[in-house]
Amino acid sequence: MEQLEYLFSTLLTKHVFMLFGTLAVLGAGAMIFSKNAVHSVIGFLLAMLSIAGAYLCLRAEFLAMAQILVYAGGIVVLFLFVVMLVEMTKYKERKIFQTQTPLALVVVLISAVTFLGVFLKTIFGKSAEAALTLKPELTADGFNAATHNVQAVSRGLFAEYLLPFEILSVILLVALVGAVVLAKSERG
Amino acid sequence: MPTISLTQSLLISLIQCVLVVVFIFVVVPLTVFAERKVLGYLQQRLGSTRIAGSHTGLTGVLNRGMWTLGKVPVFSYFRGLPGLVGDVLKMLLKEDIVPAKADKFVFWIAPAISFVASVVVFATISFVPGTFFTFPHWVPVLGGLPVTGGIADVNVGLLWILGMATVGVYGIVLAGWASNSKYPLLGGLRSAAQMVSYEVPLTLSLLVPVLISGSLKFSEMSKAMALDVPIWAVFPQLFGFLIYLTCGFAETNRVPFDMPEAENELVAGFHTEYSGMKFGFFYLAEYVNMTVVSAMAAGFFLGGSWLLPFGLQGVINPYLTWLPSWLLTLLCEPHAAFFALKIIFLLFVFIWVRGTIPRYRYDQVMAVAWKYLIPLTLVNLVLAAAVRLAM
Repeated sequence: MEQLEYLFSTLLTKHVFMLFGTLAVLGAGAMIFSKNAVHSVIGFLLAMLSIAGAYLCLRAEFLAMAQILVYAGGIVVLFLFVVMLVEMTKYKERKIFQTQTPLALVVVLISAVTFLGVFLKTIFGKSAEAALTLKPELTADGFNAATHNVQAVSRGLFAEYLLPFEILSVILLVALVGAVVLAKSERG
Repeated sequence: MPTISLTQSLLISLIQCVLVVVFIFVVVPLTVFAERKVLGYLQQRLGSTRIAGSHTGLTGVLNRGMWTLGKVPVFSYFRGLPGLVGDVLKMLLKEDIVPAKADKFVFWIAPAISFVASVVVFATISFVPGTFFTFPHWVPVLGGLPVTGGIADVNVGLLWILGMATVGVYGIVLAGWASNSKYPLLGGLRSAAQMVSYEVPLTLSLLVPVLISGSLKFSEMSKAMALDVPIWAVFPQLFGFLIYLTCGFAETNRVPFDMPEAENELVAGFHTEYSGMKFGFFYLAEYVNMTVVSAMAAGFFLGGSWLLPFGLQGVINPYLTWLPSWLLTLLCEPHAAFFALKIIFLLFVFIWVRGTIPRYRYDQVMAVAWKYLIPLTLVNLVLAAAVRLAM
């Protein structure tokens, strides 16, 4: 019984997170290396869902669910739509992508160096004394951020950071209007 | 309340999962059967009549007696029930055909995505608030421990349900694409556009319970919607319920909106090329999705595991205190059976509507979602906000 207890607690705290992390990396790998675009989208979906699982292991339930709703449910569906409608099998279309290769290499190299720097700093750098908390005084009155995840987030959005939040939504609205204008002008 | 160790809680969760799966696999085949019979009676025919009952013996006497009275024999209501076993066997044993030019991997994984995404939704649905039952003391490891009414009644339950509902779209789209054939592709694209569109009014109509109860946890929402709302909150709930049900029909691809499988236009839509158990998974997923939509409607709008719908329970409860205690417990306390009964009633409504309303044209389906349902849900949301302000 004791051993079982120990086994489950280590499994749940460490190995499940590792499992989701590995799955996410595998999904990302499948997305990049598969020849077929639809297979890439499935890999992407796997990566997104496993990242949501990893968030769950870190006890960020709201973030995990938002990840599933927004990325797995919205964005990847759009990708799938586009990929299914634009078939990339013809020679001409393949050629378009080959002309971008040198440019892409430069961009990838630059971003890889930057990311490596950040990773080195976070993994091998000096660890912070206290856990990083965003405005702890906001969550202190009344709710516990662990059990009232959503309430804490909404408090932040609608009480403390209302103006940036509203500005963001206006920017989104502008993008929407822009999309409508583009679609209209193309038709007429 | 005894303390529960991790092993015990895992075991209890496992038992809850098994119970939910049993519930699904009892309700789904019976819904399939009920669909045949109810549709039959709605269209003035007998529905499936093979097997069970005969012209001889006890059932024969009853059957012949009722025919002579000019009535449909009572046993014909249950005729065709054993045929369900035949259906399941046929699906399991039928040759599994994969088209030569299909994408094998995607063709294989699409039904799995569809089915899994529909079943895992049950994780956050709580059948009864608090304890469902307590293990008796003689049970080896779990003696005296309570089993809660939901597997994982987490504080983001609603978001989990909505998220998994969106993942279910992949099954249909990928099935349509992987079949490498015209009609399935058209059916898959149609249904994806339809489901993504109807997700918007569906979510907006579910924001009313969120707004009124101030929570995203299934049990808390269901409790708040049953007990803690004033009587004038009936109106936003009623509108919300009707809109939610409409969107639910569209989300599960049921009849007024069954675009993906419009037989006269698209053969059988996205599952034209599927056979055997792969098709069986799509079939199962459709019925499990219906159960999920019914469970959510029952939980949020029809009072969940309480008796009365639309928050009327909390309004009348104070007037019932004079009743004898056993009646009071029955009428005023939550019970899992009420929840199950509401689910079954809503499943009947699904079939009822299928027998009554003809299919929309595709452009009409999209127009209903974007031009009518979304503005209506927004108006309803404002109404609910007013109620919330007055509460």
